[in-house]
Amino acid sequence: MTAIAADKLVVRRNGALLLDGLSLSLGPTGSVAVIGPNGAGKSTLLKVLAGIDKPTSGTVRIGDRDLASFSNAARAATLGYLPQYFDPHWDLTVAELVRLGAERSHRATAGAIEQATEHFELTTLGQRRWSTLSGGERARVLLATVLVVDPPVLLADEPAASLDIRHRLDVIRTLTRRGGDRLSVVVVHDLDLAFTFFERVIVVDRGRIVADGPAKNLIEDRRIDAAFAVDFDRLKTPDGWLLRAAPHGS
Amino acid sequence: MRAWPILVLALAFSIVIAACAGHDWATPADLLRAIAGAAADLRSRLLVEWRIPRVLAAALVGALLGLGGTVFQGVFRNPLAEPYLLGSAGGAALGATVALLVPLAAPQSFILPVLAFAGAWGATMLVIGISRVSGAVDAAGMLLAGVAVAAILGALRSFLMLALSDETVSLQIVLSWVLGGVQTPSWPVLGLLAVISAACLALTMRLAGRLDLLGLGETMAIAFGLNVNRFVALAVLAGSVVVAAAVAFGGLVAFVGLASPHIARWLVGPLHRPLLPASALVGAIVVTLADAIARAALPPAEIPLGLVTAVAGGPFFILLLARRLRT
Repeated sequence: MTAIAADKLVVRRNGALLLDGLSLSLGPTGSVAVIGPNGAGKSTLLKVLAGIDKPTSGTVRIGDRDLASFSNAARAATLGYLPQYFDPHWDLTVAELVRLGAERSHRATAGAIEQATEHFELTTLGQRRWSTLSGGERARVLLATVLVVDPPVLLADEPAASLDIRHRLDVIRTLTRRGGDRLSVVVVHDLDLAFTFFERVIVVDRGRIVADGPAKNLIEDRRIDAAFAVDFDRLKTPDGWLLRAAPHGS
Repeated sequence: MRAWPILVLALAFSIVIAACAGHDWATPADLLRAIAGAAADLRSRLLVEWRIPRVLAAALVGALLGLGGTVFQGVFRNPLAEPYLLGSAGGAALGATVALLVPLAAPQSFILPVLAFAGAWGATMLVIGISRVSGAVDAAGMLLAGVAVAAILGALRSFLMLALSDETVSLQIVLSWVLGGVQTPSWPVLGLLAVISAACLALTMRLAGRLDLLGLGETMAIAFGLNVNRFVALAVLAGSVVVAAAVAFGGLVAFVGLASPHIARWLVGPLHRPLLPASALVGAIVVTLADAIARAALPPAEIPLGLVTAVAGGPFFILLLARRLRT
């Protein structure tokens, strides 16, 4: 069974072609890293898959239904979306944010709120306001707010990009572990993390998928070098990969 | 939640003080005697028929301004948003000016609120329309469109005042209304105002949860299932109903819609379910006290209420602006 099937997605904004006939199919479980250079269309792809942006043409199917036919509430409960930047306009407390996240689904009970709060180690932070939190704490609050309704699909847009390495690893681990029994699609900037922790890697460039496959097969693929316009040295480490970039042709 | 008893007590205290204040100061005992009907003298009758309804009307107008300001700040996610910046108050004022100056068949007490609502709604729709057409349905685009519409409506209103007022229709009435001031209502009209205020509270409370979602930012609000464009249009409409009611009964009273949500946020936090009623209470307290000052400060003259709130609220606005620009 397919969880998400995108068919010939085209997104045009102000004359720029952001997605250029991109098609994609994702299973109901698994951890998927989306990589690609700046401006490749990764964030646009994620927003279209999440139903936040409408494609100029093309369709997204979730399960056996067209995403466009979902009610707003059903979409919000099915597709969890972690944005790249999150800065609420009002200075809410941690508990208030998690509760707002929970209210988008009637599945989320008081028990679910408590569970998410404990799971992301927010129990002692409940009354703290957003403006007083550190970057790592903010990332955990955002994860709890989005995951409190336990959506079957999670679409995450580099939620850890600005964190220090320990917190980045924490977030990436949380997201990949979800891939065990759910679908977890994550835009990742750090290529080492993408190839070390994720099962499948999708390379996007200029609004198209240029390479797609299991991480261990794809690591040797030279199309990655072409997409990023560099030459990579691939260094095998005991538990993963290290990619060192050098300018093209050096 | 310690804030609620404090707010309710402060409102009760303000109402008593305001009812005592005036050209002729009364004591709380005088008030009690007058309300109980024990004293049939002229002074007691004046208290019951003039001063007490006026004080209660001021409190309700303040509550409406607090509600309207909270809705607009929530919709525009900007703590500096205010009905007066968005054209809705200007539209209501134009409608009311027409009602006051153009001889119409219907009684003024009926036509004024109707035209005030039509003006507020029309101006707000105009603002939404302009920002739609120019492709800027975001907060900044709407605020700028609102400023432009408010300026045009203000000019139209001034023109009407110059062109239509003559010796028979006193400019004084319009002017005092434009400068803001609660008219003394009869008890039935006060009852009507109370019902309208309660309906406005119920209406805006229905928006509370979605205003909270909108506060997470448009992307997250959509991700959490909110139809942002439709909700913004709906909330602006509800906000202009509230503003029209406030303007119809209290004229143009500046800065209360701006300041009340701020003060309420310090007391109960930014979630809209507690914020809306708290902001209504703060607005009621502020306008009750401002109206008391307007009546009692320079006897026997009365200072327009809008001038009192502008003199007090202007510095508040500048302070907020300065703090925001610094961060």
